[in-house]
Amino acid sequence: MQTAEITDTYLTARPNSRLQEMKNNLFRSKRQISLERALLYTESYQTTVNEPTIIRRAKATSYILDHVKISIRPGELLIGNRTIRPRSGILSPEMDPYWIMKEIDTIATRPQDQFEFTETDKQIYREKLLPYWTNHSMKDFINSKITPEVQKAMDNRVIKLNQTDKGQGHIIMDFPAILNQGVGAYIKLLQQKISQNPNNNFYQAALIIFQGMQRHFERYAKLADELVKKEDTPAYRKIELTEIAAMCRRLKTDAPNSFYEALQLLWMTSIVAQYESNASSLSLGRMDQYMNPFYQASKAQGVPESFLHEVLGDFYLKTNDVVLLRSAESAKCFAGFPTGYTVSLGGDDKYGQYAVNELSFKMLDLYQEIQLPQPNLSVRINEKIPRSFLNKTCETIRFGTGIPMLFNDEVCVPGFLSKGVSLDDARDYAVVGCVETTIPGRTYGLHDIALFNLMRIMELSLYDLKDDPKVTYNKLRQDILNKIDYYVKIVTQGSDIVDYGHREFAPIPFLSTLVSDCLDKGKDVTQGGARYNFSGVQGIGEPNLADSLYVVKKLVFENHEMTFKELVAHLANNFADPNGENLRQHLIHDFDKYGNDNKELDMECAKIFRHFALELGKYTNIRGGQFNAGAYTVSAHIPLGDDVGATPDGRKNHEQLADGGLSPMVGRDHLGPTAVLKSVSRIDNTLAVNGSLLNLKFSPNTLKGENGIKKFADFLMTFTQLKIRHVQFNVQSRETLIDAQKHPENYAGLVVRVAGYSAFFVDLNKHIQDDIIRRAEHAL
Amino acid sequence: MLYRSNAVIKGEKGLIFNIQRYSIHDGPGIRTIVFLQGCPLHCPWCCNPESQGPVTPLTWIKNGQKETITKWYSVDEVMAEIEKDDLFYRNSGGGLTLSGGECLVQADFCANLLHEAHKLGINTAIETTGAVPLREVKKVLPYVDHALFDLKIMNPLRARQVIGEDINTVKTSFEIFLHTPTIQVTPRIPLIPGYTTKPKNLEQIADYATSLGIKEVHILPFHQYGSQKYEYLNRHYTMADTPLLTNEEVQNIHDYFESRKIKAIVSGLE
Repeated sequence: MQTAEITDTYLTARPNSRLQEMKNNLFRSKRQISLERALLYTESYQTTVNEPTIIRRAKATSYILDHVKISIRPGELLIGNRTIRPRSGILSPEMDPYWIMKEIDTIATRPQDQFEFTETDKQIYREKLLPYWTNHSMKDFINSKITPEVQKAMDNRVIKLNQTDKGQGHIIMDFPAILNQGVGAYIKLLQQKISQNPNNNFYQAALIIFQGMQRHFERYAKLADELVKKEDTPAYRKIELTEIAAMCRRLKTDAPNSFYEALQLLWMTSIVAQYESNASSLSLGRMDQYMNPFYQASKAQGVPESFLHEVLGDFYLKTNDVVLLRSAESAKCFAGFPTGYTVSLGGDDKYGQYAVNELSFKMLDLYQEIQLPQPNLSVRINEKIPRSFLNKTCETIRFGTGIPMLFNDEVCVPGFLSKGVSLDDARDYAVVGCVETTIPGRTYGLHDIALFNLMRIMELSLYDLKDDPKVTYNKLRQDILNKIDYYVKIVTQGSDIVDYGHREFAPIPFLSTLVSDCLDKGKDVTQGGARYNFSGVQGIGEPNLADSLYVVKKLVFENHEMTFKELVAHLANNFADPNGENLRQHLIHDFDKYGNDNKELDMECAKIFRHFALELGKYTNIRGGQFNAGAYTVSAHIPLGDDVGATPDGRKNHEQLADGGLSPMVGRDHLGPTAVLKSVSRIDNTLAVNGSLLNLKFSPNTLKGENGIKKFADFLMTFTQLKIRHVQFNVQSRETLIDAQKHPENYAGLVVRVAGYSAFFVDLNKHIQDDIIRRAEHAL
Repeated sequence: MLYRSNAVIKGEKGLIFNIQRYSIHDGPGIRTIVFLQGCPLHCPWCCNPESQGPVTPLTWIKNGQKETITKWYSVDEVMAEIEKDDLFYRNSGGGLTLSGGECLVQADFCANLLHEAHKLGINTAIETTGAVPLREVKKVLPYVDHALFDLKIMNPLRARQVIGEDINTVKTSFEIFLHTPTIQVTPRIPLIPGYTTKPKNLEQIADYATSLGIKEVHILPFHQYGSQKYEYLNRHYTMADTPLLTNEEVQNIHDYFESRKIKAIVSGLE
């Protein structure tokens, strides 16, 4: 809002409780599936039959921007709602029309992340959308390319391929660039590129969407005009709506010149990208860094801080309006609608200085006030973090919702350098999705392309060697390493097929325009236009692997308590024979476990993870980029545990794996959080370039008072020096959570950390709730 | 004398019933507490009842299983455990805390551990009741940075009857810690209903503290966290039905010390 409009009369007339009311409205109605985008997309597709895919996609996106129903909700200062009804699930049948059919009657009642699906819409889906996309979707293409070897590895439950049914996502656009140049500058640039390269479809496609974005702004301007004319609109609201209309018209071409305008353009850019690809995790990057100049400019212009606070609050609410509709299987792995509006605060700038500013503090303060899972805030920590900011971070964590997570520059920067990223770019990294890191505005990283079940590999080795009379511990280890080599090759092939599928079916020209160096190369990100072109594969089950190998080593090969064959027989039997339960208790309690600072044990796992990461790094994807290893599960430790039988660590058949990725197996750590950090630090976190995840649960008492904060801050500095990549805290009392499980109605607003992102506790299924409750509570 | 077995005399080995990392309420910073076995006192409210008695190995029965809960450690073995969290100590100003039982019944071993810690630049603290002869206390004085010193029952007769403490020995120990310039002393008063919280006793503590120029004490409200252990030990826990102090009662005691110009910090109950 321009300074002139923010008069005292306006400020006093404006209701104070607006943010709270808007927050309530956001969650008032049940989540529903909206077919609107799918129908518009399909309508457009029917008229562009013989055109190149990238042009068809652009026209479809632009058609959506021209025809999707729009709204300005009561009290909103920022415009741009993906759907009229808050928190609607969006389908993209062009990617995969089938999964929703299988779940059409269960999606409203499934255990995780339910959505209503009206009977009318179901009928439209069956009669109109499904027939059109059957045999013509990206899923069909990917399925037709899957080789027998890749299929076998999937059937064997060693690998899982992701992003085969929706947009790729996990990308951060170059927001600073568009905020500093404005939409008009991009349109000019694209027109220039087109005149120089008349046959380049990418430039043309991008221009189509940018022009659609201009018209979309104009539609909102007109809607605001209409609302101003309504008689029952109060005077203060008319001032706001008039300004909204004027701002929309300015932003069609101009670069923003205030904090308010910059937030508006930021949100609109994000919404257009959402219409384009319906993807998870189009994250926000280093928002405190690129937004602070606007914040300071507005303050200098005399805009009251209360107003800046309110617009930013409005932005926070908006990031909770977009939820991701996932299949039941995907929702099991990524429970609680992680949309991934992740923000990274602080961290080194290109001069190698710790960059923290007023807005960094402000954004943490505002989180404490609004307390919603998005934007998912994270803080980049390194040895130079000022204590004042570290304390603010600790105080926010003490709030108990797992926000912010912490990312360690001392690990992430060298990790990127080891992958050929320039020093300037590496220092500019940000969090994308849940716990993955990327170079914002310069990367198409396929950070969530596949899961690689290390525990399943160990299980295959156990059974392959069970009849070998000459089996030794080294032989077992070597067999695991050999299998890792084989399946790494297969998982890279599988990932490339999905990568190729997105190239053929889902180019994203609008987003690509905001990723360097696509404009210079004249290529979409799916074609390899980005500067950095990674693919990230997650190794799952490291903690259980460490525990299992240690038991086998000690029990069978050092103590000679039983033969290898006998042990495997017990596992095959799921410890069901008469002595089985005794044996299981023996395995759990009498052998040390990961998380208790046992170097010999931790190193077994560290060596295998290193082998996996280095092996993966040998492969190049179809865009010429490297494969990177990750070590996080988000919530996939439950379904991937389901894929593994009983294991030597005392885990029963189908039981979950360790949560998070690098956290100890539930209930197996008993020496407190310092010992956990020591164990985690033995796995070379620098190798987990794609991402890693550590959950630690603290009781609020540990963090009580100034002294509690100081000791917690000291703890975090040690975390930094131990070169652990990521940590997030769940500061909840057990009793609170148990009560929330019994009485969800009383805890609708209870935000809780579910491995890598925040969600509402009551939105999670009982299984995951139990998991959270069980995690060892590190309090004294 | 109970506390002078051969192993203790040599100070090369010590009997320990727990080593607890990430302790944040027992001295500055993040600390590792070594709980040493053996105590000459028999406080009925003790939350580590397994430590009471002589320095001899101990078993208890937990969930039907017999468990040996003490273990002999060499100095090097303990130091290996201590060093594991060195980085945490360095960042937080924390370090090693010796506790018990009464750790000074194994004073030679304590002195060796504290000395080794000092050589590595690790901050040291002891939690003590001071109920040991002066010559034992003197062994550790050069190596202690913080002494968390319990003051319980001040009436000589009651102290002897209820907890087996000779109050003169305690005062001698307390004063030598206090007069050693390199040691920071924190008097700690467990607030035990019916025992230490009587107005007369609090008054005697305040008088004693004032006579020594003490400006600050820590008060530790009674808790029931040790009750389970009495069951494992098959011992009767006489405090089982004693209710916790109300916030108001704790506040009143706090205010009493403040009225005597002694700052009182409530701590210990987490």
